[in-house]
Amino acid sequence: MKIECTIDGKALSLSVNSNKPLSLILMEDVGIKSINSHCRGNACGNCIVLLNDEATLSCVIPAFRLKDATVKTFDSYQKTRLYRDIERAYKATGNTPCPNCYASKTLIIESILQEMTNSTRTRTFGRNNLSLPGTQNEDNSLNKEAIIQELSLNTCQCMDMAELLQIVEIALTYRRRKRVRRH
Amino acid sequence: MYEGIRSPVIHTPKTLNEFATIAHRYPQAVIWGGGTYLMSRKDYYPSEIKDGIINLGELDELKRITRNDRFVEIGAMVTASQLLYAGKLVLPEILQKTLQSQASQIVRRQTTIGGSLCVPDIRLGLSTTLAILDANAEVKYYQGGKTTTHWIPIAKLYDKSGNLLLGPQKALLTRIRIGLEYGDFQRFIIVEDPIRNTDECVIVAFQATRAQNTISKVQFCTTFPNKAYHISKDLVSKLSGQTLPIHPERVNTLSYELVSELRKMQGAISELQLERARRIFESFLHELNAQTFSS
Repeated sequence: MKIECTIDGKALSLSVNSNKPLSLILMEDVGIKSINSHCRGNACGNCIVLLNDEATLSCVIPAFRLKDATVKTFDSYQKTRLYRDIERAYKATGNTPCPNCYASKTLIIESILQEMTNSTRTRTFGRNNLSLPGTQNEDNSLNKEAIIQELSLNTCQCMDMAELLQIVEIALTYRRRKRVRRH
Repeated sequence: MYEGIRSPVIHTPKTLNEFATIAHRYPQAVIWGGGTYLMSRKDYYPSEIKDGIINLGELDELKRITRNDRFVEIGAMVTASQLLYAGKLVLPEILQKTLQSQASQIVRRQTTIGGSLCVPDIRLGLSTTLAILDANAEVKYYQGGKTTTHWIPIAKLYDKSGNLLLGPQKALLTRIRIGLEYGDFQRFIIVEDPIRNTDECVIVAFQATRAQNTISKVQFCTTFPNKAYHISKDLVSKLSGQTLPIHPERVNTLSYELVSELRKMQGAISELQLERARRIFESFLHELNAQTFSS
């Protein structure tokens, strides 16, 4: 099957099996280095990519769903300004995920930050707002339960959940500051 | 790497009539909703798919949510995330809780309602909650060039072990219908991750209506993802009409009755799961008692 899509900013025409998982396409056909696992149903959460700007497990996306899609992997995401917020948060807390899950955890955190800072986008796509009432209410408290649920998608045990929550909180502060400055 | 495998043909119907034509022509074709279950199978890829895949992604008829005074209808291709976004106006609170607890937001964007209900061997929170809400599913059967439509209660879609009972013929779950009359006491509890920790997971949904210190219209379903799907008619009838508060000893007796029922019917359930189910059931009754005292 011939599929035309954009991966990391490059328009590609791929000839792959129509049911091949995106994670395998990225590893075998495109040669993306940030994806290093195809868990075959073990739900390891190590293959997160941004598909049309939404974080997705690439092992559950078949090739035929990629028609005209835009895929952004960690390889290209780490060159964006958005990544700096999370990188700075890692530095500020002194905790960094292990190399195995670094890409996935960072993209999960990015997805959380997007949900929390971009409510109009959420409405456009008809998605649930992560049930993060703190972001909509006046008080700035986070709905930790919902964030933990998101973060636990990646099963790597290299970091404590409290550390991850702290990183999300700090990265969110940086992201909000950046938005305020831009406006 | 997998040169020997033929790429399956992807059929993408745009209407249900087109789907019917394809389903009659390719009876072995795999029906593809969100794909989360199919793709998480260990033997999914590389593998040979005979008649190809019928991708439901462009069937707009299955992506609608409609509501009137009496019920809500949800298309099978509505994702869990979209349904949650529909909010409290459309959904009972217990269904929202169920969807939120089912998976993370990233996975919820992928999983479809129809797909969650039609997983052949594992029962998750959605089928548990929809059973107590008395929801019905519209199922279309495609056999011998004919299409027939049936409305089936969700509780009757599965056997006691939780296996899907849609029969050997080609069938498509197109939408579900949930009545808008439900009890004022609704609880949903899930312990452990049903996908990662299937052997220890327990899912319980409970609903009842309280009126003048009695409970009525009790609905109660216990699910052990790959082992059992249990609706206790006996306990439901014992609880319906019960005066509140229920004596703690009676609560204890009822909870052990549930355990013995589960033990008799499904032997594979572990002691840990039984104890969890018992305590969750007890906690619902104690909570009902507590609410009676406080009101």
